[in-house]
Amino acid sequence: MTVDLTAPAASADPYAVFEELRSTDPVHWSEAHRAWLITRYDDVSDAFRNKAFSNDRVRPVLARRREPSAASDVLGLLAGWMVVTDPPDHTRLRRLAAGAFKGQRIAVMGEQITAIVDSHIDGFLAGSGEQDLISEVAYPLPATVIATMLGAPPADRDRFREWSDELALVAFGTGGAARADRHERALRGLREMDTYFHTLVDHRRRDPGDDMLSALMARDGDDLLSDDELVAMCALLLFAGHETTTNSIANATLALLRHPGQLDRLRADPDLIGPAVEELLRFDGPIKVLNRWVVAETEVRGKRISPGERVHLVLASANRDPERFDDPDTLDLGRNPNPHIAFGKGIHACIGAQLARMETRIAVARIVERMPSLQLAEEPVWKDVLASRAMDRLVVRHL
Amino acid sequence: MRIAVDSSLCEAHGQCGVVDYELFPLDDDGFSAVGPSREVPDGDEATAELGVASCPARALRVLP
Ligand code: HEM
Ligand code: SF4
Repeated sequence: MTVDLTAPAASADPYAVFEELRSTDPVHWSEAHRAWLITRYDDVSDAFRNKAFSNDRVRPVLARRREPSAASDVLGLLAGWMVVTDPPDHTRLRRLAAGAFKGQRIAVMGEQITAIVDSHIDGFLAGSGEQDLISEVAYPLPATVIATMLGAPPADRDRFREWSDELALVAFGTGGAARADRHERALRGLREMDTYFHTLVDHRRRDPGDDMLSALMARDGDDLLSDDELVAMCALLLFAGHETTTNSIANATLALLRHPGQLDRLRADPDLIGPAVEELLRFDGPIKVLNRWVVAETEVRGKRISPGERVHLVLASANRDPERFDDPDTLDLGRNPNPHIAFGKGIHACIGAQLARMETRIAVARIVERMPSLQLAEEPVWKDVLASRAMDRLVVRHL
Repeated sequence: MRIAVDSSLCEAHGQCGVVDYELFPLDDDGFSAVGPSREVPDGDEATAELGVASCPARALRVLP
């Protein structure tokens, strides 16, 4: 048996596949992915601190390229992302970034985020009939939030969305010649992004504000982020904070529409939104799989795993592990405690988690409150992708 | 105000450190290094409450 998580049936209902893997082959070598699939909660948890598993997976690719090209310029930018580094580089970048994500800084953004959410919902409510909640609300929202946080002028916000798509295209690799052309265009777009962020950094160096980019310029002892590192950080925040949050809002809304009893519960008790969002992230979160490179010989549940191989940490499976969660396939908005790992674990645990939670809470709460008659208008189609749990469209009706 | 971590409950979710890495230091593996009793500087009480509440394993608490 070899499991392909990007097969259409597995994309439509990955949870059935995960259940099978957890019970029959929890550390599964998938020929299709040429990677180990780790599916149990405890094994995924342990993997987060297994030093044999590395996040440093862009630099080795870059080192193998002989001639510099447009692609290696952009790859050079991605290679500096903390999410693809190991300690000690990671430790340094994470410390320098952490101040910008402090709880209190994020907490004061609630009002601003509510205003952004409401303006997108206004646009949606102005339309009628069947509409796509993703293209109208869930997709534009996080890009606007990130652009606002970085202090970009409102007029530039649409470009953030394009760059985010282009980053995803380049970061997740191409596939076949048909996409080579799109890839080339994406690289051009990203060079434009690079210039744009450099200009933004220049401005903030001269004229700091209370935005996140200015906060990222703070010193840690006598160390600080260079201009290039700040530009890479801006790109990382856009990449890591856009699609994930889009899917978090969309998947949460879908889960509520499919569980009317739970939706009524939330309507009757809006204060439940905090635990509700944690449960929605556990139940059908935006990230299915995280990737690690194997850099040393190791063993997981008796399987020997060797350097040069890859492992896929299947977060979405761990979050449904019955060894860890009672009735894991039941959506219970009041679940407590809820030690889900939708934000990862250990040293790379999502640094944007407080922001992501706030965005998802506000968006879901406002959707529920402002669209009392919301209904699903068509069966959603899931994208055949490995890393994320993402729908193409979420077509709904509101009366 | 003082805060504490129950190390037997901490699972390295890292969520406290996201709220404030100075109030909620983490060790090299991402586990909480808050220890059995850590002083919260004046003015940081609200952040401390936020960090304690963010722990999905309920490993942190404000000491009485
Ligand atoms: C619901 C939405 C989100 C989810 C589910 C999510 C999930 C994750 C996960 C699982 C990781 C760990 C990656 C790994 O271990 O390899 C991560 C890392 C990261 N996330 Fe998020 N994220 C979300 C939103 C955001 C937002 C809004 C931002 C910032 C604007 C953000 C910024 C980051 C960064 C910078 C990292 C890298 C941290 C590091 O390597 O130390 N994320 N995220
Ligand atoms: S959030 Fe809780 S489990 Fe995670 S590191 Fe902090 S104390 Fe430990």
